[in-house]
Amino acid sequence: MQDAVLAFLAKEPAHGYHLHTRLRRALGPLGESLNRGQIYVTLARLERAGLVVAERAAGLPERPERKVYALTPAGRERVAAWLNEVGWPKPDLAEFHLKLTAAAATRLADPVALVAAQRREVMRRLREVQQAALAEPAESGAGPLLEGIVLRLQADLRWLDACERAWSGAGDAAGGG
Amino acid sequence: MPGAVIRARGLVKHFGRGQSLVRAVDEIDLEVAEGETLAVMGPSGCGKSTLLHLLGGLERPTAGEVWVAGRRIDTLSERALAGVRRRSVGFVFQSFHLVEELSAAENVELPALLAGCSPREARRRAMLLLERVGLAGRARHLPSRLSGGQRQRVAIARALVNEPLVVLADEPTGNLDTAATLEVLRIFAELRAAGQTLVIVTHDERVAATADRLVSMRDGMFVDDTRLAAARPRGLGGLLWPED
Amino acid sequence: MGSLLLAVRLALANVRRHPAQAAMLLLSVTVATATMALGLSLHGVSDALYAHTRAATAGPDVVVLSGESGPEVSAALASLTDRPDVVAHHGPYRIVYAELTARGAVASPVVVHGFAERPGPVNRPLVTDGRWVRPGGTVLERGFADALGVGVGDRVTIAGRSYPVVGIAVTAATSIYPWGAQIGPYGGPSDYTGLAWMTAADARALARSRDLPVTTAIDLRLRDPAAADTFRHTVPDDHPVRVFRPTFRSWQFTAQHDKVILRNAQPILVIGGWMLGFLAVTGVATLAAGRVAEQTRRAGLLKAVGAGPGLIAAALLTEYLAAALAGHALGLALARLALPVVAAPTASRIGDAEPTAGAVVAATVLAVAVAVLAALGPTLHAMRTATVTALAASARWPRHRPLLNALTAPLPTPLLLGLRLAARRPGRAVLQACTTATTVVAITVLLTVHAQRERGYGLDGSVALPNLRGLHDRRLMLAITVLLVALAIVNILTFTWTTAMEARATMAIARALGATPGQVTTALSAAQLLPGLPGAVLGVPLGFLVYLLFATGNSVPPRPSWMAGAALGTLLATAALTALPARLAARRSVARELAAEAA
Repeated sequence: MQDAVLAFLAKEPAHGYHLHTRLRRALGPLGESLNRGQIYVTLARLERAGLVVAERAAGLPERPERKVYALTPAGRERVAAWLNEVGWPKPDLAEFHLKLTAAAATRLADPVALVAAQRREVMRRLREVQQAALAEPAESGAGPLLEGIVLRLQADLRWLDACERAWSGAGDAAGGG
Repeated sequence: MPGAVIRARGLVKHFGRGQSLVRAVDEIDLEVAEGETLAVMGPSGCGKSTLLHLLGGLERPTAGEVWVAGRRIDTLSERALAGVRRRSVGFVFQSFHLVEELSAAENVELPALLAGCSPREARRRAMLLLERVGLAGRARHLPSRLSGGQRQRVAIARALVNEPLVVLADEPTGNLDTAATLEVLRIFAELRAAGQTLVIVTHDERVAATADRLVSMRDGMFVDDTRLAAARPRGLGGLLWPED
Repeated sequence: MGSLLLAVRLALANVRRHPAQAAMLLLSVTVATATMALGLSLHGVSDALYAHTRAATAGPDVVVLSGESGPEVSAALASLTDRPDVVAHHGPYRIVYAELTARGAVASPVVVHGFAERPGPVNRPLVTDGRWVRPGGTVLERGFADALGVGVGDRVTIAGRSYPVVGIAVTAATSIYPWGAQIGPYGGPSDYTGLAWMTAADARALARSRDLPVTTAIDLRLRDPAAADTFRHTVPDDHPVRVFRPTFRSWQFTAQHDKVILRNAQPILVIGGWMLGFLAVTGVATLAAGRVAEQTRRAGLLKAVGAGPGLIAAALLTEYLAAALAGHALGLALARLALPVVAAPTASRIGDAEPTAGAVVAATVLAVAVAVLAALGPTLHAMRTATVTALAASARWPRHRPLLNALTAPLPTPLLLGLRLAARRPGRAVLQACTTATTVVAITVLLTVHAQRERGYGLDGSVALPNLRGLHDRRLMLAITVLLVALAIVNILTFTWTTAMEARATMAIARALGATPGQVTTALSAAQLLPGLPGAVLGVPLGFLVYLLFATGNSVPPRPSWMAGAALGTLLATAALTALPARLAARRSVARELAAEAA
């Protein structure tokens, strides 16, 4: 979040208000939950870290939304570093996998039923995103983001299929033996 | 209570015989309510396309009954079946299946003309529908000059021209890219809002996710039948910022 | 060498996969080459038969005839033998004009040649059955006897007297039956006449009994047989024979005169051969076009493993050439079997009938042309596809034809679909039109030939003895028409089936959209019938033109009602024929057709 706010200031200094608008536009329907308070909290943290400086707009009372924020040289370096970074969020599948293993081992729950429930949940999310995508105008900047989420969820559904095959097979083997 | 537009009882379809017997559809019962959007999902070869063909009278079942709008169709003659396909059912296919010799407008008109509609009325309906799918400007184009998404939209317009009770779509987005898929899904969403009954066979979860009801098929049988919850009105932020 | 082997192997595989197509090519080429070889061989065979008969019967080089008789005439004719260029002779002998009645019913004019019981060095008729003349018995010329239906042991009545037929013989001195009389009585014109021989004494007795007309003839052999044609000019005006207004008949003239009976047969066969060849190309090319998609796929496949498009072309050509040459060989064999009957409608000549070298060459050219023309389309397509894939992709789509679309838009839906389908393959529509036109032409000519009035060969033109030339023409024309119609039927079935196969995606879609099997059948039939319409209309004037080709001054022109009937009948038959494969195609499973199309 901090890096994204910094990067949006790299083009030109901006009010917190404008920054919020630009971020929301880029995120499309996913930016609805991004409130202005979060932006000001983030900007305050960045100011403390010496990455941005706030200039009060001349002749106006001292109010946070009237401050114009600009990058410091350190902030600029941080943006450059962030852009070149190749870090990638790791999908956390181990937990669900361990959940299934444990369920099977302890016989406290049916792994196949767990997979089915999980699939319904993923499907529900997919439905939400898909409906958001359909409501989004074609030229919206958020299109690739929505597609990315859809593809992730589809990948999750396929993985759940694979889990189901694996665990139903295991169940058959156990039942047969 | 809305009535069932399509009803199937103990539906069975076998191909081949002996060693090579394939049970494409194996004892399926199904009811599709009026105004419902039903998605049938399953891996390829699970029999979902065959099921759709049986429901639309393109294929005859080995056993079982199919009722469309309260009329049993599996016992009808080929000629009467053609009548059912003309008036009650609209088909949309994965590979569009437009008649290459006919222009977009003529393709849309075709079912209306086959049903005995006057040329003037058929043309009026075709132009309205092409307008609705955003292709009024391409009415005179041959299919070969249209993109995949445009062709599929022409095919949807064609499926609607006789105001069918149900539209049966077989992998309607199977040959389309993301943008064209969204266009088609937007049209389906509009149809749904207008109360059109839809049965969509697909292996694309994105398409299935937009349905009211999702049926999963394996080896010719239904393994799951879920009613998808209505989308929650709250935003999607939870998907994006889980850690904050 | 290796690639040649591969081409042959591919060709064999093709034949195995499409046996019907190979068989059809074989049959069409057989029929076409046989007809063509027959037609072109006719004159050569007639010459050969004459030459053979002439050699076997010591045929004279020149026959000199006078319309008068008596010792002076005989003396004058005999004086010709004094000339140094005359090396041998027979005669002078009497020719008596009489009427012959056989089996108590069939009457015909006859000339009776009075011969010695032991024939001389020139003009020794070859006895093919029985024995030579003896007192009281007559020998009939073989062609004449055949027409009369008389054999050795039968009795015939000549000028009221009954004679036993003791033998059957042939001669090269006169033309074939019914031109046994070289000149008429008193040197005037002659009617269709048969030929008989008697002993010189019997002939004289016959002539005297009824005071029958008699002419005199002498058979000469020249030092230089090639000069026979000009012999008449070397006889000076003051020669004694000139007083009796002699007629000179050279062997060349007689050989040429034999062909009068074939005057129509040759064009019937040659034109028929070309028409058959044309229909063969049409049918086979259509079948081949139906294979274009498969060939294209194979081209891609072979290209992937490193073979060039040339190999595809070679395999295809090999396949077609092999089938065509096999058909050609078969056709020549058939021609050889049929030649004796076709080239010699009378029994007046002996010898074997062989297709002439020129005919064999022409038939070979025809067979190769059929193979190459039929293979041309798919070969070019396969080669072009392999080189410029983009071209092939665009060739599959119908072109945009605003005019056609505007014109056909108001038609009923099945007709509209049919027309658009036909327009997608303009070449085939043209071929379909040509097939229909060819059929109409053949039927028109056949009807016209049958309508001709002709003199029979019997007494006073009685048809108790049929006109052999007309009969021959009609039989040949009937055979050619039957073959043409058979090929046309095969073609129409091929056209419809190929179109049905190509249009199956369109038709499956139409049925998915609710078209009834009847509507689909109508569309497919219309796709065939619509191009047939101009073909039938064109066939009528073309048929008339072909008639003009054969027509002589007293020919009966074809009646307009017949020509219209032929055109209409052909169209109706086409409609009926197309309905069958169209109906079959319309019964295939829609779901499967659509799936096949999508795959």
